[in-house]
Amino acid sequence: MASTPAQATDGYVVDTMEMPKWEISPLTKRRWANFKAKKRGYYSLWAISIMMVLSFFAEFIANDKPLVLKYEGEMYFPVLFSYPETEFGGVFETEAVYRSEAVQQFIEDGDGWMVWPLIPFSFDTIDLNTAGAVPEAPSARHWLGTDDVARDVTARIIYGFRLSVLFGLALTFFSAIIGITVGATQGYFGGLVDLIGQRVVEIWAGLPMLFLIIILTSLFEPNPIALLLVLLLFNWMALVAVVRAEFLRTRNFDYVNAAKALGEKDFTIMMKYILPNAMVATLTFLPFLVNGSITTLTSLDFLGFGLPAGYPSLGELLAQGKANIQAPWLGLAGFFTLAIMLTLLVFVGEGVRDAFDPRRSAT
Amino acid sequence: MSDRILEINDLSIEFRGNEVVRDVSFHIDRGETVGLVGESGSGKSVTALSVMQLLPYQYTRHPTGSILVDGQEVVGLDEEGLMNIRGNQVGMVFQEPMTSLNPLHHIEKQIGEVLYVHRGMGVVEARERSLELLNLVGLQNAEGRLRSYPHELSGGQRQRVMIAMALANEPDLLIADEPTTALDVTIQAQILNLLDDLKERLNMALLLITHDLGVVRKMADRVCVMTDGNLVEQGPSEQIFTSPQHEYTKHLLAAEPSGDPIAADTEAPVVMHADEVSVTFNLAKGMFAKKRVLKAVDQVSVVIRQGQTLGIVGESGSGKTTLAMALMRLTGSEGGIYLEDTPIQGLKAKELRPLRNQVQIVFQDPYGSLPPRLSANEIIEAGLKIHQPELSALDRRKMVASVLQEVGLDPAMQDRYPHEFSGGQRQRIAIARAIILQPKIIVLDEPTSALDISVQAQIVDLLRDLQRKHNLAYLFISHDLKVVRALAHELVVMKDGVIVEQGPSEQIFTEPETQYTKALMAAAFDLEAVEHASQ
Repeated sequence: MASTPAQATDGYVVDTMEMPKWEISPLTKRRWANFKAKKRGYYSLWAISIMMVLSFFAEFIANDKPLVLKYEGEMYFPVLFSYPETEFGGVFETEAVYRSEAVQQFIEDGDGWMVWPLIPFSFDTIDLNTAGAVPEAPSARHWLGTDDVARDVTARIIYGFRLSVLFGLALTFFSAIIGITVGATQGYFGGLVDLIGQRVVEIWAGLPMLFLIIILTSLFEPNPIALLLVLLLFNWMALVAVVRAEFLRTRNFDYVNAAKALGEKDFTIMMKYILPNAMVATLTFLPFLVNGSITTLTSLDFLGFGLPAGYPSLGELLAQGKANIQAPWLGLAGFFTLAIMLTLLVFVGEGVRDAFDPRRSAT
Repeated sequence: MSDRILEINDLSIEFRGNEVVRDVSFHIDRGETVGLVGESGSGKSVTALSVMQLLPYQYTRHPTGSILVDGQEVVGLDEEGLMNIRGNQVGMVFQEPMTSLNPLHHIEKQIGEVLYVHRGMGVVEARERSLELLNLVGLQNAEGRLRSYPHELSGGQRQRVMIAMALANEPDLLIADEPTTALDVTIQAQILNLLDDLKERLNMALLLITHDLGVVRKMADRVCVMTDGNLVEQGPSEQIFTSPQHEYTKHLLAAEPSGDPIAADTEAPVVMHADEVSVTFNLAKGMFAKKRVLKAVDQVSVVIRQGQTLGIVGESGSGKTTLAMALMRLTGSEGGIYLEDTPIQGLKAKELRPLRNQVQIVFQDPYGSLPPRLSANEIIEAGLKIHQPELSALDRRKMVASVLQEVGLDPAMQDRYPHEFSGGQRQRIAIARAIILQPKIIVLDEPTSALDISVQAQIVDLLRDLQRKHNLAYLFISHDLKVVRALAHELVVMKDGVIVEQGPSEQIFTEPETQYTKALMAAAFDLEAVEHASQ
């Protein structure tokens, strides 16, 4: 093994060399195999992925516009394009309200037909033809009932799920970027930079986050972007400690010194030589961060300090459930959506953590 | 009582179905020293651990074989029986004295523990016995050291404490697993003397596991040679060393780094010189603490000439690595550093960067010196990307392939990751990373210390070839004087940050002038401890 002299391959012709095809590194392959071996995490990933992909096409699943309609021999795609009512012989120059009987009559007159999505309500469609008092109990028309302004709960959950996931991912993504940057800088340069950085992080983390967010969001009209920025102010610390520790550990390794001796810039050393080591700890953390972000958004919505009215929000659904105890489908629907989503994310997180754990991979 | 304190017959060891030791048989008589020699991965430590049944038995099996300690079968013995054997009849000393002692307990408690468990002694009694043991192993100021924690002791002192713990119950057999590998040469000589002396006094048998043939030759009555899990040869020490029978033993004996440095012109142009370089570390912690500084390197001047090797020797803590780091501007220092005629002390990082390709470094630990998540190709081409950005990816790939060939690796392996290479191969990659930039100087910081001896010899040969071919200057740092002798033209002996002796290496090796250098040479080549060499 080690005692045999390395074979010099004299027949190797350097001149005819070509670039190799890009391949997934064996380490990544092994981790993926480990992840797959843990059925719970693997199936959870499938489930959450399918739910996410479906919810990204929410407009095609739950909408108050038809998918396709034919009018006077021409095809229209109201989900994708906006058509004024005048297009179908109406009087208003605004977009046609396809749910209204008038528009439906126009299209019928024009020898046309409409194909509706599975759920013919959007998240903000107020169903004017409810059978009884709102909130209405689940029925064939409204699978999970309606909320207290006669909006379809199923549609709101699909859109709310999408918004929560996207918001969670975005918040996690930007938190991770800031956290890694700060942690890496502190860990790599150490000394005074680290000392000051660490004190700032500690003080910042000590602030009563929820109250400050409530104060900040009441200062201006909240919209998703503003809310994202406000939450970002208090959410970026999560990764600092992990990344900082990894950089502190690695920065005196011989290969970092060797890279300095080659003349690599500090930035390159951080990105190329040290960050890959910190990525394991970071990736392991990410699913849990997404979870935390979603929970934060939901609790703000629940308290009424989150997204403005009109946005499909799971927190608002829960708040309605609380306000309408006589309509348990509201609270239950919101609860199960959140419970399933968060549980699946935790399972995926566990799977990722185990797949990256070098001690477990031996089995 | 049987004459044979240890008898191992046809022992095999299997980890998760992989057989790592096959049909090993040997024995140790009372009062005898047996050396178990082999390179890393040969199964020597595993064999020793199985005597104490200290292997992870969730996934370890002994398919065949028996281990008799004083006539009693150990394989399959229950926990109570093993407790009796461990510590009472067989004591063990490990390689790494820092991690074998519990950092949170003071010495008295750690030795006392053995005495409470096996002897049922009370506190006062145990204290007396501990003191007696520490005096026995020659720990100076034993009384005052009882309350010391491991970190307050030096490596040699810790190893003495370990030995004292192993001896607490007067075992009939002491197993020493690489007891001196982590220690400096002068300390190594002292510990070996101590072991020899204790063995005589306590009429103990000693099983000495080591990869260092010099140690075995000096200490052992009989030698067993292991490779790849097989015991290939055993016999009286003298016989093994003078007329080895097995191919592997011959190969091992021939593998000692040898040969002389290549002929060099003593008037060759100077590629780097340092003028009174000092490195100080601030030890004081806290804002208002008094200033306390450690002079790691104190006013050292050296000259490195083209095509020659400047060897720097010294024990750990002598400042030799710090000096190299200072010369490469990887650590802050004072004094003049000149690359050819350019002063590089005080250059800004940006101004220094274009000059970086002229001085490269190879580190000791081939496992720590390669970034684990980059392929060999990425590691080696990194320097080219910086210093020759005009090259295309394919050009770089070709250059990496040819430099791999030059250091004796198969270019087809260039997309593999560091963990897929052996220690020796990794060290070749580290050398490839250095030479691809065609530097004038390569700093070699203990490049062979972490390698098996046969691999050491290969690396030394490779370094010599490269030096001849490219007219390279080496700054060779090592505590291993045998390797230094095979490469160095000039020699600097350092101790506590200052130069003790300096001159042509031939002269220093044959006629060392200072007391310290003499002690170092005696310890390294004859394993003789010279009084107060480093205490």
